[in-house]
Amino acid sequence: MSEERKTYTLMQLTSSIARMFDKYYNQSYWVKAEMHKLNLTTKGHCYPELLQKENGNIVVQMRATIWKTQFEAIKKNFEQTVKEPIKDGLTLLFLVKVTYHPLYGIGLNILDIDPNFSLGELQKERQETLLKLKAKGLLNKNQMLNIAKLPKTLAIISVASSKGLSDFLTVLANNSFGYKFHTKLFPAILDGDRAAQTILNALAQIEKHRQVFDAVVIVRGGGGEIGLTCYNNYELCAAIAQFPLPILTGIGHSTNLTVTEMIAFANAITPTQLADYFLSNFRQFDLQINELKQAVIQQTQEILRKEKRELLIQSKFFRNGASKRFLIEKERLIQIRKNIKRITNLSLEDKKLALFRVTKETKKTVQYFNKLQLSLLENKQVELKNNTRRRLFESSEIINQIKINLFNRIQTTLSNQQMHLTQFEKNIQFINPENLFEKGYSITLFNGKVISKENQPNRGDTIITQGTLGNIESVVEKVDIIPSSL
Amino acid sequence: MEKQALDGGINYLEAFDELQQIVQDIEEGTIGVDELSVKVKRASELIRICKSKLTDTEKDIETILKEMEEE
Repeated sequence: MSEERKTYTLMQLTSSIARMFDKYYNQSYWVKAEMHKLNLTTKGHCYPELLQKENGNIVVQMRATIWKTQFEAIKKNFEQTVKEPIKDGLTLLFLVKVTYHPLYGIGLNILDIDPNFSLGELQKERQETLLKLKAKGLLNKNQMLNIAKLPKTLAIISVASSKGLSDFLTVLANNSFGYKFHTKLFPAILDGDRAAQTILNALAQIEKHRQVFDAVVIVRGGGGEIGLTCYNNYELCAAIAQFPLPILTGIGHSTNLTVTEMIAFANAITPTQLADYFLSNFRQFDLQINELKQAVIQQTQEILRKEKRELLIQSKFFRNGASKRFLIEKERLIQIRKNIKRITNLSLEDKKLALFRVTKETKKTVQYFNKLQLSLLENKQVELKNNTRRRLFESSEIINQIKINLFNRIQTTLSNQQMHLTQFEKNIQFINPENLFEKGYSITLFNGKVISKENQPNRGDTIITQGTLGNIESVVEKVDIIPSSL
Repeated sequence: MEKQALDGGINYLEAFDELQQIVQDIEEGTIGVDELSVKVKRASELIRICKSKLTDTEKDIETILKEMEEE
């Protein structure tokens, strides 16, 4: 026969379990666990998954809850202290109370998270990184680099939208001295999980062009100081330490320097201060140049003043010496002039006398010569008169002779001509038709013209015969032409 | 690290050193009046080079940075 066994309802069972938890687990405990996921909901509550791993394997797992009000307080406190957000994957120290719910089973209610535990963890990471760097001798490596006297071309690692970046660039661009810089942005994420990797990528890119840049600048700011533990990351810090260019940081971090800030070539609290560092470099150089310029100007002026004074003194000496000399020579010249005058006068007197004598002599000679010429002229005059008279007489004789000859000739010629003329007259009289007419000759005209070959009358024509009686008109009866006249 | 002047001319560091040397020479008084004018002219040029490093936008650097953009 089956015994009577005690049966319970499920609810009775679970109530019992609940009571047991109440009895034995009514305290809160500080538990260290890895929070695999936070699972924050829109309502504000969190449903994290807590677990523990051994050798990489999950051996324990439990779900938990953080109610909204608790979470808000925890988050605020945590971030204030640790300066890191509460995120998935962190190992945290939780203040928990075990809960048992009939529906949801066993779970944990998280009342608090100890920020100092996390802080400690982060400090550990920081310490570890520092020790590793020290061991490899990298702590001061970037700081030992020589930076250009005037860093002018800068590679900037930042976020394009960062206020820190825009502050940095504005200060450089708006400086009142007219200094000019060249910048190139290499974008990266500057806080949180992905910061280290993106900054390393940016550094790798910059290294390819390291000949171009004078320094690297990492700036961020304006976004609060959460999530900066990335700057304690060993890979990142090692890369920074060994980078061939000086790296300067201004990541807007005011407390508890991160390793990056400690090992960087130089660190400024704010990007604005970092920009001022570059400006002051330029300004120093500028002032040095100004000093040198002033020195040149003043020294040169001094030298020129000295030379001028020297010149003045020398010229005074020269003037005095020259004056004296001048007076001496003037005296000499006056003396010489007097001498010349005297000698010239004497000489002049002598010459005057000589000239006078010569003039007298010349006068006498000229007078004598004139007389001579005069008598010669008179003789010539007489001769000329006689000759002329003679010539005139001869000429008139010749003319007379010619006159006689001419007269005779003319006479002869005239009588000859007279004879001719008479002869002609007689001849003309002979030929004159009227005279011929008286002798009995006549002329026959046909048509007013003499009869010729061209002017032949024929039988019946009228012809006119002119003679001593007058004109006789006849009519032709017969024409007998002599053949030889055709 | 200091870069050579990209155009092969004197760079600002060399200019600065030469300028300091000239100032020293003038202060020591080893320069005659004739040489002085040459040195002062040279100093003026060196000052110009140094100042221009501060206030010039270097065209070649701009070009290189622009080229980087296209990588």
